Amino acid sequence: MKTILAFREEEYAWVHEAFPCIHPLLLPLCNKPFIEFLIDFAIIADSSSLRLLCDGGFDAVERYCENGSRWGIDLSYGSIHPDDTIHAMLGKNRKFCGEERIMIISGFSFIRYDKRLNYKSLANTMAAGEWATCPGGRITLSGMPGKTPAHWVDAPLSLMPLDGMASYYRASMEALESGADRYVLPGYGDEPGCAFGRNVVISKSVEIRKPVSIGNNVQLLADTVIGPSAIIGSNVIIDRKSSVESSIVFDNTYIGEHLKINGRIASGNRLNDPKSGASIAMEDPHLLSGIKKKGVLRSFPRKFTHAVAALVMIAVLFIPFVILRSLLKLRGQWKSARTDFLSEATGMTMSLGKVELSTASSLTSIAAALSMDRYGWLFRVLTGQLALIGSKPLPAEKNRLEITRSALSYRPGVFSYAEAEEWPSSDGDATGGDAAIVERFHIAHSTPLSDISLIIKAFVNRFQEKSIL
Amino acid sequence: MTITETSQIGIAILSLNGTLDALSAPDFRNNRSVIDPEKSVVIDMENLDFIDSSGIGAIVGASRQKRQPVGGIILSCMNDRVRKVFEITNAQKLFHIFDDTIAAVDFAATRQSARA
Amino acid sequence: MNKSITITLPGEIKFVRFASQTAASVATLLISENIPESEGTQFVHDFELAICEAFTNSVKHAVKRDTLQMLTITFEFEPRQLTVCLRDTNGPFTIETPTPEITDYPPGGYGLMIIRKVMDGVTCHRDGDSNILRMSKSL
Repeated sequence: MKTILAFREEEYAWVHEAFPCIHPLLLPLCNKPFIEFLIDFAIIADSSSLRLLCDGGFDAVERYCENGSRWGIDLSYGSIHPDDTIHAMLGKNRKFCGEERIMIISGFSFIRYDKRLNYKSLANTMAAGEWATCPGGRITLSGMPGKTPAHWVDAPLSLMPLDGMASYYRASMEALESGADRYVLPGYGDEPGCAFGRNVVISKSVEIRKPVSIGNNVQLLADTVIGPSAIIGSNVIIDRKSSVESSIVFDNTYIGEHLKINGRIASGNRLNDPKSGASIAMEDPHLLSGIKKKGVLRSFPRKFTHAVAALVMIAVLFIPFVILRSLLKLRGQWKSARTDFLSEATGMTMSLGKVELSTASSLTSIAAALSMDRYGWLFRVLTGQLALIGSKPLPAEKNRLEITRSALSYRPGVFSYAEAEEWPSSDGDATGGDAAIVERFHIAHSTPLSDISLIIKAFVNRFQEKSIL
Repeated sequence: MTITETSQIGIAILSLNGTLDALSAPDFRNNRSVIDPEKSVVIDMENLDFIDSSGIGAIVGASRQKRQPVGGIILSCMNDRVRKVFEITNAQKLFHIFDDTIAAVDFAATRQSARA
Repeated sequence: MNKSITITLPGEIKFVRFASQTAASVATLLISENIPESEGTQFVHDFELAICEAFTNSVKHAVKRDTLQMLTITFEFEPRQLTVCLRDTNGPFTIETPTPEITDYPPGGYGLMIIRKVMDGVTCHRDGDSNILRMSKSL
């Protein structure tokens, strides 16, 4: 059997407004992209090949799903017209369909199924026509049915339209509560109702109330209460004494201290009420971006500590720097160019020398391990243009000037907090990148003393990472 | 690029082979069946290895010359590489796209007879 | 490997395949030193497409000005990144053009739209009487 998944842009237009950073077909339901639930169901119903059709772009989906080999199926892509009927879709995909039985899942809806039941024989033997339907969605079977088996077992199947934030919230909670018994859900856990991703750091005093689903790279700080019914995405920090109950926290979100999130969807710096559809963008020290910059006087101890530490590093690394740079320059492996980066002051830029080291030789790997490529930047700490540890400096591109204006917590540093925490590297996106979350957290919380230990960690981490190469 | 033209039940089938870019686009644009506003054309892209915005522009321009812009030019057998360029420019929205040339011809014939 | 390759071609449309196929070969070279070839197909395709679009744009603008010029293409290799610079002597232009909507049938602008989409970084600056369009993509 083969399956066609067909979507029209107008069916999921609301997702673009509510969650602009996510392709609607990758909208996470209980930490699993929507499209994967459909792929799972197609596989359970015995499909070996799947074709994804859409009347809009789905580049992001294609990059995520690729050719389907991850699921052991053959996945291909095609286009449809908004007004194409099921019959037209079958005609446009005649080569794909061949003579086989075809299941067409159309519309942006959540399929309620149970992975333990036998949908295979149903899909293969039911008469052609509608199998399940809901407003805006349907599952249709086409082609000659096979012989009805001797033991006919019905398997319930229903659809729930995902037509707005409220239904999305309901479907997510339903998936969480019915849990891994019915659906294939991500994460590991010793007991039912608790699924954890990789690299989840839980402080001792954290209270977890089932059911919960937690993604990868999550930090739950002291005295937080998670659950019941909490879905926490990946690259999330829940700060001290906050609670998340009956709520969804999207990937790359930082929940500030002393915050109660109940019955909400937190995504980036937006807090949504799924029932009313109301949404507010936070600009205060709670949900992520609104971390106010400290005044000149309050930042003096930090700047002083950073300058002293930078001086020590300049002195210690001076001799290795002179030797390695001369040798590498002679061998043509030390290439430097000036690049404009965004400075801490909103809308301003600064020019920094960027050194490219080829990793081809042992000498370059020693230089990289000792962070020689950043030696010149240490002097910028003395002049106060860079912190010794802070955010990864962002290249000054026009579209980014606006980004830093909205993301207040940007403090470019020689080393980044993400390097200290071995957080997955991002492309330096101040608004949504993975590393941006951990950087924001530390910029809000760091003290001169904690910075020193993080500088050492960052330096050592780079040393270990580069010396492996 | 080479263009091989055949005809089935009154529908012209243009099989494109090679590259449709700024260099080869005029050949396509000047094809008789493409110019004829009454003629339904199926473009078989099975052997089209590469297309750029000039190629897309030529096909979009051709469809605008047709009396029936959406049904006048029908595309078939697009490979992934060509499909991605259509998607980047959103040009896929302007066409009916089939994975089988015979199915595309059937569709064009049905449309033509309905119009007649 | 930190190397660069420079080619200079007459700004005529008949050289567009040569330019884009050279780009594909250069991209294949970078791929072969870093990742399995099968994983780098998209990278090579994107590179070929971007150069094709850039070259065509330069030629088209020169035709408008009724001048024949030489176009210089420089490929710069970095360990996991390929940058290509296209230098032409056309009048100044900007890459900050609005994204065209094909359903409104605008006359042009798709070349830059495609380049921006398939490449990671695109900049353009004026150097004397030349434009330098710089496009880079990482593995």
